Parts: sequence; C-alpha cells; structure tokens
Amino acid sequence: MFEQVILASECDVANEVICAPADVKELFELPTVFHIGELAISRTIILIFLAAFIVVALLYFGLRKGSVIPSKFQAVIESLVQFVRKDVAEDIIGPEGVKYAPYLTAMFLFLLVGNLFEITPLINFPITSRMAIPAFLAIVTYVIFVFVGFRKNGVHYLTDIIWPKAVPLALRWLVGIIELFSTFLLRPLTLAVRLFANLVAGHLMLTLLLGSGAIFIWNFADAGAKSLVGVAWFAFGIGIFLFEIVVAVLQAYIFTLLSAVYIQSSVHPEH
Amino acid sequence: MEGSIEVLKGGLALMGYGLAAIGPGIGIGIVVGNAITAMARQPEMAGTVRTTMFLGIAFTEALALIGFVLFFIA
Repeated sequence: MFEQVILASECDVANEVICAPADVKELFELPTVFHIGELAISRTIILIFLAAFIVVALLYFGLRKGSVIPSKFQAVIESLVQFVRKDVAEDIIGPEGVKYAPYLTAMFLFLLVGNLFEITPLINFPITSRMAIPAFLAIVTYVIFVFVGFRKNGVHYLTDIIWPKAVPLALRWLVGIIELFSTFLLRPLTLAVRLFANLVAGHLMLTLLLGSGAIFIWNFADAGAKSLVGVAWFAFGIGIFLFEIVVAVLQAYIFTLLSAVYIQSSVHPEH
Repeated sequence: MEGSIEVLKGGLALMGYGLAAIGPGIGIGIVVGNAITAMARQPEMAGTVRTTMFLGIAFTEALALIGFVLFFIA
C-alpha cells in the first residue's frame, strides 16, 4: 500500500533530496480495483460513492427525528444546512434563494466530504482532484444559471449582456464582448479549475513532503545523515497538512458561494 | 534534439505560469488588505466583508487559474 501510493521502491535515498514519483499521473490515476463487466471500477469511483453515501447518511440520521431540543449531532447537521440556506442562498440570491438551497446544500456537503478525503487517514485522496467532479458540478451550475436567466428575462438576458444599457455608448461593444466571454466561457471554466487546481496542488505537496520525509526516515540505515532532511520535510508536510484543512473547507465554501452568485446574476441581472 | 525542445517548452510554460501569477498575487493582496482594514474599522460588518472578500479573491484568482490551465496545455 505504502509503496503503491508513492513508489518508494524506486527512490535512491543516498542521492536524491526529494523522492518524487517518476510520473505525476501516478499520484492521481489510481489503479483499478475490480471489474463489473466492461466497467473498470477504480479507487476514485469507490471514493465518489463513499462520499455520496456519507452525505446522504449524515443528512438522514441528522434530520430524521427533527426534535425541538436537538441532540448534538442533529445540531451540527442543522447548523450546516442552515448555514448554506441563510448565509449563502438567502443572503446572496435573496428570498427566491430558498428554491436553490437544496442544490447548494447537497453540493456543499459533497464537496466538503470529497475535499476532506485529502487529509483523512487511510484515504488520503481528494476526489475533487480529478477534473470530472469539479467539471460536472460547474456544468450543472452553468446549465442552471443560463436556464434561469433565459426563463426570468427571456431574450433580454442575452441582449443585456451583449449590449449593457448602463455603460456609455462608446464603450458598450467592448464591455459586451468582455461580458459575453466572461459569462459564458470563463465562469464555468474558472469555477471548475479553481477547485481542481487547489486540491491538485494540495495533494501533490502532501504526497511529496510527507512521502519523501517518511522514506528518508524509514531508510535511516541507507540515508544516514540525510534522514535529518527527511525529518525537516516531514515537519513541513505536517504544517501543510494543517493548512490543507483550511483549504478543503474554504474551497467547498467558495464553490458554493460562487454558484450562488452566478445564479443571483441571472435572477436579478440589473445588479 | 527533439528532447531539448520539449524541455525548453516545459521551462517556458513554467515561466509563463510564474508571470501569470504575479498580477493576481498583488491583486489578492490588495483585496485582503482592504478587507482587513474594513473589518478593523467596522467589526460589526465583518461577516458581509468576509463574503465579499472571498468573492473578490475568486474573481482576481481567475487570471492565475487561466495561467495554470495554459501551463498544462502548453
């Protein structure tokens, strides 16, 4: 398991300062566990289903009783749901925001669990560091805000973006081009890439620092004085580990917040 | 000699990403600095300011992210 994840066997502790895998893809393309017919089920797929299952289980067991005096567990789940509903959906989108609260809550909790897999012992793999999940969620948000924009404002949604009335006439075409480009291309792209890039960077740093630190300390006999370097890497890795907790929670929040902002810009386009 | 061209391309992509990160770095610094000033002046508005700060960071970050994507494409 240890060797499979970071390919420790190929590392020459006597010469190399950091033990890096031969190919970065080895850290992200996890091996197939078993097959169902033609479908190859890798560890990533299992983790995706595990994350979905955890979210459903948390919501079901947290809100099953719905007693007036909540248990501790119920209070935590309620405050999470309330946080997305009040602080994200209603504050950003407005009174209509309650309609989008279920989507935002589900997305927030799924991303939170998926991101926290990065630092969960024995899992140590953020499922959001594979582009499929951020891209899919960004596309769903994109479809929602474009659909809502056209349904609320008709064709004015598009014409207001291309020909904004609030801007001086001489600059309108330029602002229109920029807005068109940013609304329909950059928004979904940056939404997906932001989450993806943060988690990829975090996973990479954690694996390299903790992995090479562990290998140097493990092979104390071969590395000699160099295992002190390993101790430094490992300590630095633990610092990054604590930082990644913040990143994981923050990125889930920012993804949800920006989805709400994009939906808001379709519900009230004049702002 | 094909190998050296590949290495050169990789190095240029890396430099391009470094250059793309300069502007957003400065921009995020300005956003966060001003948000802290605002929170210090009006602590009761801290919640609103924090949300707006994250939004500002998210929009500023877009340029760095485009650089990150181009690094992989190049």
